[in-house]
Amino acid sequence: MTGRVLKWILWTALAAVLAFYPKLFGLYYTNLFVTFAIFALFSVSFNLLLGYTGLLSFGHAMFFGVGGYGTALALKHIQGLSLLPAVLIGSLSAILLGLILCPLVVRVSGTAFAMLHLAFGELMHVLALKLRGITGGEDGIGGFPIPRFSIPGIVSIDIKPPENFYYFAICLLGASLWMIWFLTKTPFGQIQVGVRDNAKRIDYLGFKVPQTKAVVYVVAAAFAGVAGSVYALFQNLISSESLNVFKSFAPITMTMIGGVGSFFGPILGAAIIQVIEELTSRLTEQVELVVGLILILVIVFVPMGCVGLVRSLKQKWIAHSAPSAHLEKAS
Amino acid sequence: MDQTTAMYVAQGIHGLAYGMILFLVASGLNIIFGMMGILNLAHASFFMLSAYFCYQFLSMTGSFWASLLLAPVATAVFGILLERFLLRRVHGLGHMAELILTVGVSLVILAGVKIFWGTESLPVKIPSFLSGLVPIAGMDYPVYRLFIIAMALLVLAMMALLLYKTRLGKIVRAAVSDADMVNALGINMPLVFMLVFGVGTWLAGVAGVAIAPILMVFPGLADQVGMDAFVVVVTGGLGSLSGAFMVSIIFGLLSSYGVQFVSSLAPVLMFAFMAVVLAIKPTGFFGERE
Repeated sequence: MTGRVLKWILWTALAAVLAFYPKLFGLYYTNLFVTFAIFALFSVSFNLLLGYTGLLSFGHAMFFGVGGYGTALALKHIQGLSLLPAVLIGSLSAILLGLILCPLVVRVSGTAFAMLHLAFGELMHVLALKLRGITGGEDGIGGFPIPRFSIPGIVSIDIKPPENFYYFAICLLGASLWMIWFLTKTPFGQIQVGVRDNAKRIDYLGFKVPQTKAVVYVVAAAFAGVAGSVYALFQNLISSESLNVFKSFAPITMTMIGGVGSFFGPILGAAIIQVIEELTSRLTEQVELVVGLILILVIVFVPMGCVGLVRSLKQKWIAHSAPSAHLEKAS
Repeated sequence: MDQTTAMYVAQGIHGLAYGMILFLVASGLNIIFGMMGILNLAHASFFMLSAYFCYQFLSMTGSFWASLLLAPVATAVFGILLERFLLRRVHGLGHMAELILTVGVSLVILAGVKIFWGTESLPVKIPSFLSGLVPIAGMDYPVYRLFIIAMALLVLAMMALLLYKTRLGKIVRAAVSDADMVNALGINMPLVFMLVFGVGTWLAGVAGVAIAPILMVFPGLADQVGMDAFVVVVTGGLGSLSGAFMVSIIFGLLSSYGVQFVSSLAPVLMFAFMAVVLAIKPTGFFGERE
């Protein structure tokens, strides 16, 4: 009972902090937080593949980028499009890409899956650079109109001021995170974990492994698309940089640092990376070096990430509580 | 011989030379993968590192041949260090950890190269008798491309001899099918792994030196050629040398003729080819395992 009350108190406190965050920390840190939130959703959608279904993708940025391009193109070409449909179009274009790829990719797993995505991700990157007429090449698409957030008859807010954009982004990204969280708690989420741990047994139990993978894949694509769409709105610019291979490595780094297979791990990892990037970009320009070293150190010393580290420490100190129960989700 | 045919043949030679370089990189990847099950994503970075070593040795000694010998060996030393001190530690954690670790290593190499040599393109000069053209049967061929093709075939022949005629080769072939069993028979497998990793990175190093005079040395080298090499390995089938050879040649020709006929879409051709192959056979041409 007390645990439940404590949980509610914590959630309320978090909501309060989020609500007053722009007032407390000012403009610069508000924008930083929006970036963090975008990458948190991106990483969580990635972790849906890696942590929950055991599929490592080196090309998750293509859904992120395509989501961004979808929204930017829609806003540029469709007059008077309102905000939520624009985000929806971004997400739908990522879903479409996922649907096109999934018949091919659900047949492979492991290394082949990872490499296939590296190649497709690079293909999308090259296409974005080459199809200059549509995507604007290296310059990308910028300066598209950003509509007001409006639900007819209820509200109409101009989201151009950073503070308003913050609330819009937090609500949208928070809702997306909640939806992913909900998905992992459904029976379908259990099947997902089963596919990761023992695909053959799931097959014998009568569940369809390739179809399960396909659904997870498309869901992950959809939410990466949402993240990319908000990113495009936030920058008012989407360029081929959002599709390159470093954007694909970002969620991998964040997920590995935070803890693979735990829902909140990637969010924690995104926060840690954001802080590290913020600190290192002030000191040095060698962001690649820092990210590379972090990856190596994390894999060698704390392969389960921060969440895994906390869990194993907990088990060491509280040896009485059932040790295996916690690790069920994380491996 | 008329102008058009000469152009086609010249493009063909360029394509073959590029295909051979791709094959050198891809065969190193394949040997490591076949033996240890590790897809070394830092492989392309070693390839680039070797090109930089070549530039460095060349500016120090002034001899292309010395760099051709030394740069791949220096690269192999780095490869061996990576295997011994990093990969071996995470071997128990599964393939995901290894893949991500090699990504980290490739980022560190990229950053290191930028720190030591800067971001500009560095030229590598070849000896005068390797540059220029040689007339054969009424046509002129670029000597350096022919040299690359010959060198790659020589390396390939050496690898074949090593694999099929020596005791070490026998051990390696046995280890590809069952490493644990070979280990149980009293062969020091960790040492063999280390050697194989060294040979794999050495092959990447040879390719790196071979490409340095053609493309110049710059930090994007790993991305440009490395991505092609990974695509070759996946399309040919992971762990299959003959598959890698075939696909390397196809890709080399695709890229050189592609630039000529559909220049803006040339980079897409390879990926399209890969997508078609994988849609029909997900394990690649000759691949049996994932």
